[in-house]
Amino acid sequence: MDKPQNSIDKLLHDMRERAKELNCLYQVEELLTKTHLPLAEIFTQLIHTIPSGYQFPEICQVRIEYDNQTYISPGYIASSRFQSADIKVDDKVVGRIEVSYTSDVPQTENSYFLKDEHKLLQTVAERIGRTILHLKLEQVSREWETAQKDLSEKNKKEWMVVIDLLRRTDQNLYIHLGRKMVYHLFWNGVMEAKELLKTLSKDRNEAQSEISDDMNRPSQRRSQHELLALSDETFHIAARYLTDKEILGRIQKWIQEDKAGFLSRAINNIDQPLVEIINAITHYHYISGGNYELSPPMEKGLRVSLIRRFFSDDLEFINIAKNHIEVRHFYDLVQRIIYPASGYGRLGGKSAGLFLAQRILSKPGEHSAALGDLKYPKTWYITTDAIMSFLSYNNLEEVNEQKYKEIDQIRLEYQNVVQLLKNSHFPIEIVKGLSMALDDLGDKPLIVRSSSLLEDRMGTAFSGKYKSLFLANQGTKQEKLEALTDAIAEVYASIFGPDPIEYRAERGLLDFHEEMGIMIQEVVGNKVGDYFFPAFAGVAFSNNEFRWSSRIKREDGLSRLVPGLGTRAVDRVSDDYPVLISPGIPNLRVNVTAEETMRYSPKRIDVINLKTCTFETKEIPALLAESGHEYPGIEKIISVYEDDHIYSPSALNLDFSKRNLFVTFEGLITRTPFIKQLQTILKTLQEKMDTPVDIEFASDGKNLYLLQCRPQASTAGNVSSPIPKDIAPDRVIFTANRYISNGKIPDITHVVYVDPEKYSQLENSEEMLEVGRVVGKLNSLLPKRQFILMGPGRWGSRGDIKLGVPVTYSDFNNTAALIEIARKKGNYVPELSFGTHFFQDLVESAIRYLPLYPDDPGIEFNEKFLLTSQNYLPDILPESAALADTIHVIDVPQATSGKVLRVLMNADLGEALGFIATPVSASAATEETREPSETASEDHWHWRLRMAERIANQLDGARFGVKAVYVFGSTKNATAGPGSDIDLLLHFQGSAAQKQELGLWLEGWSLCLAEINFSRTGYQSSGLIDYHLLTDEDIEKKTSYAVKIGAVTDAARLLPLKNQ
Amino acid sequence: MADKSFNAFKMAQTQFDNVAEKLDLDQATRDLLRNPIREFHFSIPVKMDDGTVKIFQGFRVQHNDSRGPCKGGIRFHPQETIDTVKALATWMTWKCSVVDIPLGGGKGGVICDPHNLSMREQEQICRGWVRQISRMVGPLLDVPAPDVMTNAQHMIWIMDEYEKLTGGKYPGFITGKPVGMGGSLGRTEATGFGVIYTLREALNELGIDIKKTSAAFQGFGNVSQYAVKLYQEYGGTAVCVSCWDQKESKSYTFIKKSGIDLEQLLGITDKFGGIDKAKAKELGYEVADAEAWIQQEVDILVPAALENQINAETVKKISAKVKVVAEGANGPTTPEADEVFKKKNIFVIPDFLANAGGVTCSYFEQVQCNMNYFWTKEEVLSKLDNIMTSAFHAVYGLAKQKKVYMRDAAYMIAVNRVAEACKLRGWV
Repeated sequence: MDKPQNSIDKLLHDMRERAKELNCLYQVEELLTKTHLPLAEIFTQLIHTIPSGYQFPEICQVRIEYDNQTYISPGYIASSRFQSADIKVDDKVVGRIEVSYTSDVPQTENSYFLKDEHKLLQTVAERIGRTILHLKLEQVSREWETAQKDLSEKNKKEWMVVIDLLRRTDQNLYIHLGRKMVYHLFWNGVMEAKELLKTLSKDRNEAQSEISDDMNRPSQRRSQHELLALSDETFHIAARYLTDKEILGRIQKWIQEDKAGFLSRAINNIDQPLVEIINAITHYHYISGGNYELSPPMEKGLRVSLIRRFFSDDLEFINIAKNHIEVRHFYDLVQRIIYPASGYGRLGGKSAGLFLAQRILSKPGEHSAALGDLKYPKTWYITTDAIMSFLSYNNLEEVNEQKYKEIDQIRLEYQNVVQLLKNSHFPIEIVKGLSMALDDLGDKPLIVRSSSLLEDRMGTAFSGKYKSLFLANQGTKQEKLEALTDAIAEVYASIFGPDPIEYRAERGLLDFHEEMGIMIQEVVGNKVGDYFFPAFAGVAFSNNEFRWSSRIKREDGLSRLVPGLGTRAVDRVSDDYPVLISPGIPNLRVNVTAEETMRYSPKRIDVINLKTCTFETKEIPALLAESGHEYPGIEKIISVYEDDHIYSPSALNLDFSKRNLFVTFEGLITRTPFIKQLQTILKTLQEKMDTPVDIEFASDGKNLYLLQCRPQASTAGNVSSPIPKDIAPDRVIFTANRYISNGKIPDITHVVYVDPEKYSQLENSEEMLEVGRVVGKLNSLLPKRQFILMGPGRWGSRGDIKLGVPVTYSDFNNTAALIEIARKKGNYVPELSFGTHFFQDLVESAIRYLPLYPDDPGIEFNEKFLLTSQNYLPDILPESAALADTIHVIDVPQATSGKVLRVLMNADLGEALGFIATPVSASAATEETREPSETASEDHWHWRLRMAERIANQLDGARFGVKAVYVFGSTKNATAGPGSDIDLLLHFQGSAAQKQELGLWLEGWSLCLAEINFSRTGYQSSGLIDYHLLTDEDIEKKTSYAVKIGAVTDAARLLPLKNQ
Repeated sequence: MADKSFNAFKMAQTQFDNVAEKLDLDQATRDLLRNPIREFHFSIPVKMDDGTVKIFQGFRVQHNDSRGPCKGGIRFHPQETIDTVKALATWMTWKCSVVDIPLGGGKGGVICDPHNLSMREQEQICRGWVRQISRMVGPLLDVPAPDVMTNAQHMIWIMDEYEKLTGGKYPGFITGKPVGMGGSLGRTEATGFGVIYTLREALNELGIDIKKTSAAFQGFGNVSQYAVKLYQEYGGTAVCVSCWDQKESKSYTFIKKSGIDLEQLLGITDKFGGIDKAKAKELGYEVADAEAWIQQEVDILVPAALENQINAETVKKISAKVKVVAEGANGPTTPEADEVFKKKNIFVIPDFLANAGGVTCSYFEQVQCNMNYFWTKEEVLSKLDNIMTSAFHAVYGLAKQKKVYMRDAAYMIAVNRVAEACKLRGWV
């Protein structure tokens, strides 16, 4: 029994002790659930079990006192080396448990017992208390049953039997009922009651506040006997004034209310740790037998308190939630909550949203039939404060201060924080909870999602900032538990990640006490081959902000559907497309021809590989060839392309080896109630939550599951911009009021305007094609996402090109917005394209689309500005000068002495405005709000320019054959963002060998700068320098990028070379 | 729209006027053939999904039916104009005539944007279209086919409505149907094979052994893939194909001087004819820029992608070795480039002859449907070979005899056949 010396030994020793304690707890738990045994038997067995949890079991002995009985270990001797805990029932001490050592043992921190051993004993005492209560209640309920039987047999005055029974078994309740009856009689004007009341309230002045007060333990100043007598009298009076039926009714109601008394006490006491509340709810559920009969005000009051405790303080949320979440719903919820021993945490925003949505949709109503069998994945919750208890358990509190460090330091240290957290241990009660969760969730893969307080406060603007991790959840219990704790630690770590911290700093949220709850959800889906994934999944929005046809209304909604895991629908994936559907008008498709349908169909699928236990992205044809036959409902997901015709197949004629299968969801959309279901979900939630919503869903091929629900209003990137009304008329370039989506393009420096009038007068198609080609060239020359294209009718018109400039997506992929102008011709206004030819490319690359109807009443269109500002086309593309009449290139800062064009779009108002404004900030292009004091973003370009100057300064012109170096693009224009390249032009006159050497030299710089940029901003790139070599000939002929040199607008800037 | 703007029908008329001049046609024939013989405009009321009724404007133009029932597609296009439809109907007449199949030229359409319509609404438009025009179309009068933004589904709706109206089964009323619903086998191969049948004959006439030739193909879609296949079966060496890279939004040329392996390339090609660049490099292909295909030192160029690919600029890059250009695409050569071909004595198989395999196969579909008996693929392709071969020789014979450029000869023979038919019928 020597005290271990070596620190590693100590660690091992500690862990062994921990295991012992856990084991002991399990055994105690098992014993206590044997409620068929008499208490005495249970206690005797406990005495044998408990020592096994202690450091020195051989000399450990136990003593339990209860109900004037004492139970002791065999050969018990009194000892001063002991610890003890009270056994309480309903907060009253009813007994005591004591553990002691018979001989001397080494002391740690002045105690014979370990810290965890104290906790162990507390837990055991608590559990014993609860078991006693349970047994007691069972006894009462048995007696109650006998009494009820009596009643029905004898048909006497029923209430008297009840009262009689109570008087014998539960005097407290009897007295409580008596008092209630006095009030009742008094309010009904019974004079005798008034007299009684006087006697009763002599020493209780606060009688008025009694209604929900504690009557289980009446004032001790009056003897129990007296009180009983008073009650007896009360019921005598009652018998004279009230009918038997009324008395019985009253008594029943009050008994019910009394049952809930402790519940309301627990819930309304803000100092109660969560565990008490959870116990109270569970307890109440048991005694009420699941039959919650609370008076309406009590029910309401409890609902609000519970919502506040578990979800949110936000009044708006409570106001809505209290109408849908009932007290009884919390019972199921609390069965799956994991929380620190004495925690006060909540469940976080994501959990709140889903729980509320589930309640709303589960409530029977007119929507029920259309919803069909909507399901919700089995979910476990870890409360928000568990992260703090996790940190303090591992003495890692200092990590909390991470957020106040410099951003590049945060970034540098982030990986270490992740590793640190992953290598830390979880407190026992959390591990225990997780272990239960794993047993409950079975072998299905899991997703560990964050559910933070800020997500709750800020809505989705914060979503996606924290991690969500998929787990295959395979292997032994131990392996699964390790993988799960690992994942939770990683999700926890994301709270200390540079991106969320930077985001919070920008919005003044750094000091908000952020805590992160966790949702552990089963992944919806099936095993197909070695993989696990849902048949399909997606997101849906109440409001459609990307309408591809004038027939689609905003409230028709939008859904992004993908096969497999929904990850590909949630995020924009640059080289793949989800299927878009507007649930309100599902037959109006984005893609109409077979070619479009195939081009924009999803090509890849996200799955969980059960063999390697990893998250993978697979090519769909490969997956189908492998195991298409196992894919549930595949015939509703894909279409077959054959003979220039694309059709939805029957399950019979599917040949998965052919590569002519495309994901279209045609069968799902047209032959199943899915769309109706989706629309009903969106409509119902929007109506009841009083806000447009954004949901995530998945299907296992049989049932649809709702995975997430949150208000749509705050979806990042689609915030509606306020439209200022006080813009001077001469600063307005255009206004619009039809088919407006939400958004903002703050700093437009260049406008390419194709004059509709002049374009329609072009003589032949060759000239029109040339306009398209010129636009394509301008697209590669003008600063990316800083210019907009405005032109007649349908951009990208195929076939007849008279009404729209013939361009393809690659001809305008750098623009910030595509604007179509419908000018009236006689009494005919041409139909616009809504970008349908490349609609999905626009959506995925966040290029804004805006239709203008200049001839509508009340619409401003400043054609004069567009036509009379200096046209830089001849300077930028001298060879296309002939088209200067048709194509206008306007350098906004030059035309307006340093100002920019700003476009604001507000779908709620249905208004958009383009006006001349003072530039806000260099890189605010993608941010909605930014504090004026923010300067951090300023240095993205500044640093890049400094680096460009340094490169030029270090570049040995003679050695590399370089005559001059220029910088252009965002670095020169002071518009560079954190992910921008440094664009360089090198006038090169050297040999092939020099060219190669130069390339290597620049690549070195490029990689270094990319690395530095990563630690500054978190943007990863394979290189930061984008350079172009220009020959003498290029410069002479002004071919390709050479036009930038000495250009009139947006010219490249010369940098001094080494030794110059 | 201003008068001076671009107008396809005017272009078709100018083209015809030139040929008429060369053929020295009389005024009446010119007046007849300059314009369609019949032109139908009608309104199609459609009850929309939301209960409202919308009226769509439909067209059918029958340019000339002196040689047989009209044949031509139905287009759904939001900016459809009657002039476009008239021009396309005119060209259909010449195309059917040049391969000498007994059909006239037609075209039709509806002004609508399928992007704004549900499938049910499109079905109503299709059925409404045929209800308005049923008396003037039919397997013996005018046979529609799929075109811009219409496909086999639309054709089946139109056929079904027509059969309801007439009370019989008339699969021959429409072409472009799926196999099993009256469609013909061999349609996928038809255009690409047709190009190579005419090329084979051209080389024969020029005294060149096809086995000793090499060729560069632009495009890797349906036409190009089957053209390469047959060309290599004949023993030629296809040194490159070019294709569009969706990700980079630009084209690349894939070169293997010793000859590409078609099966191998198809294995790394997506549904749109896009070849995986990295894998191609692994397989030993040189990946060059878009225009590399035209610069190859080959005997034959097969542009089978887009229009205007061989223009004043690119024509300069063509190797001196090139002897034949077989136009798989529509309008790949601009008039400026034609002048260069004439000067350099490069032999051209003009587009509407070279790629007439498609329309010929549609004709076969019609024939098979009318007799309700369907041929094997081999039968279809061997009959296609016969038609393309005779068509080529007729054009080549005229070009040689009159010493005219192949493109002009093709037009002359096509217009002349139609003019003759009109004369024989006593119309002019």
